[in-house]
Amino acid sequence: MVDALRADTSHRVDDAELLRRSRDEPDEFAALFGRHGPELHRYVTRRLGDGLADDIVADTFLIAFRRRGHYDLTRPDARPWLYGIAANLIGKHHRAEVRFYRALARTGVDEVAETYADRVAERVTASAAHRRLASALATLSSGDREVLLLIAWADLSYDEVADAMGIPVGTVRSRLHRARKKTRAALGGIDPTAFEEVSDHG
Amino acid sequence: MDDLAMLREMRADTPQPGAERMTAMQARLVRTTRRDAERAFLDRFSRPALLAGAAALMAVIVLTSLVSVRSAGTSPGTADGGSTPPRYAATTTVLEEAALVAEARPTTVSPRPHQWQYTKTLDKQALAGPGEETVQESWIRYDGKKAAGYTAGGKVHVSDIPPDPGDDDLPPVGYARKLRALPTDPGKLLTQVSGDRHWIDFPKQAPPGYESPDQRAFRVLSTYLRQQAVMPPKVEAAIYRALARIPGVEVEMDVDDGTGRKGLGVFKADPKDTAPLTRSYLILKPGSFRYLGSRMVWLRDDRSDPAHPISKGRSWVNAVLASGIVNEPGQRP
Repeated sequence: MVDALRADTSHRVDDAELLRRSRDEPDEFAALFGRHGPELHRYVTRRLGDGLADDIVADTFLIAFRRRGHYDLTRPDARPWLYGIAANLIGKHHRAEVRFYRALARTGVDEVAETYADRVAERVTASAAHRRLASALATLSSGDREVLLLIAWADLSYDEVADAMGIPVGTVRSRLHRARKKTRAALGGIDPTAFEEVSDHG
Repeated sequence: MDDLAMLREMRADTPQPGAERMTAMQARLVRTTRRDAERAFLDRFSRPALLAGAAALMAVIVLTSLVSVRSAGTSPGTADGGSTPPRYAATTTVLEEAALVAEARPTTVSPRPHQWQYTKTLDKQALAGPGEETVQESWIRYDGKKAAGYTAGGKVHVSDIPPDPGDDDLPPVGYARKLRALPTDPGKLLTQVSGDRHWIDFPKQAPPGYESPDQRAFRVLSTYLRQQAVMPPKVEAAIYRALARIPGVEVEMDVDDGTGRKGLGVFKADPKDTAPLTRSYLILKPGSFRYLGSRMVWLRDDRSDPAHPISKGRSWVNAVLASGIVNEPGQRP
């Protein structure tokens, strides 16, 4: 299926234009996957591990395809829209995600990182600071965690997070503030690198 | 290093997937979207079905007397895929009953242009495993210019629906206009829908001549039947009587809508196709003849996508769990 694998030759065209074209020419939609699929896949893997990423990314793009007629064509970058759809799908695995953070906090073994580690048998152990962060991530509400991780791991701006989640930018700020109060507290309000050394002895 | 920077380092070694994996995923996506685009106009499963907000009291009609067991083959419409033989109702009799019930419905008040139509649907794909189903709540404004839904954060997100000149779908107000203009004589109605330029010329991506006038009549009447919020009772009655006149239209009993509700599965067999790949049902609630959902069942193994073969007996269901007219997006009836 050579045509299915065509390169994104429309590099001068923004996402909105691509989505507009895909309404009449469904195959045009594939270029959107070429642009944003790999980054989104990495983000989902970072949240839930390698095992769920293929399905969630595939579902995200299929849902996006079905909603392409509803895309707001005044927005040139489709990333917030795609990450918003993915957030919904990731949210369905919220229990598993929290379990991973708790296990990481408790044992230091990062089961999510193990799914993509080079050597399968290798135990991926986290630093003490990351264990503490994981315990904070486990206690956040889904909405606060989504905002925090869209900013820290998906590199979205405040406006883009607002767009992705369909919330005002003020709410993004307040959620981020609330989330960071917990992450800061978890790190003990001290230099986490120093904390790490102390903890290694204990 | 602050907490955010520390968080950015956590799992920072997560790799992007390799090119080969991405290429395979992209190819799969193209196959799925092609099939999806094709299906979207061949059978409008994903359309929100509109049900009237005011519930009408319906006489319960016992259909058991109409049942005749016709074949001992597998039962395509049931979820278990075939231990019991399918039971068919006598098409003309059942559809005439439906017409009589429909005629007795009270006329509902038309929604105002800025009211919203709410729909909660359950969708289960043919390849979905147990428990893998999508439940979605959505709002569309009566004038069709805005849509709304809940975000992951639990907030109502309203977005504009830009005009799509190539699409055949209509806003709720558009369906209301079309339905009001339909003849209530079943013969005239059939002639009208099979020759309606709107359904012949749209959607723009449909290949010319992809359906016969009979197929078109069945498709369009099925689409109309899903618009129950704006349906004039006399037109609904005429639709059931017109369906009964289309060659190949049959009614199977106990077709599951994916949520365990069993209804009357109206489908159209193609008399020329002896081994069809799929069968699509419009499922009506026995007694009230309200629309419950749709089911497409595979009658043969489908290998058109080698990576995702669909085996015989699987089905794709879309059920309407709740619907109605509300004043604001986010409200439920």
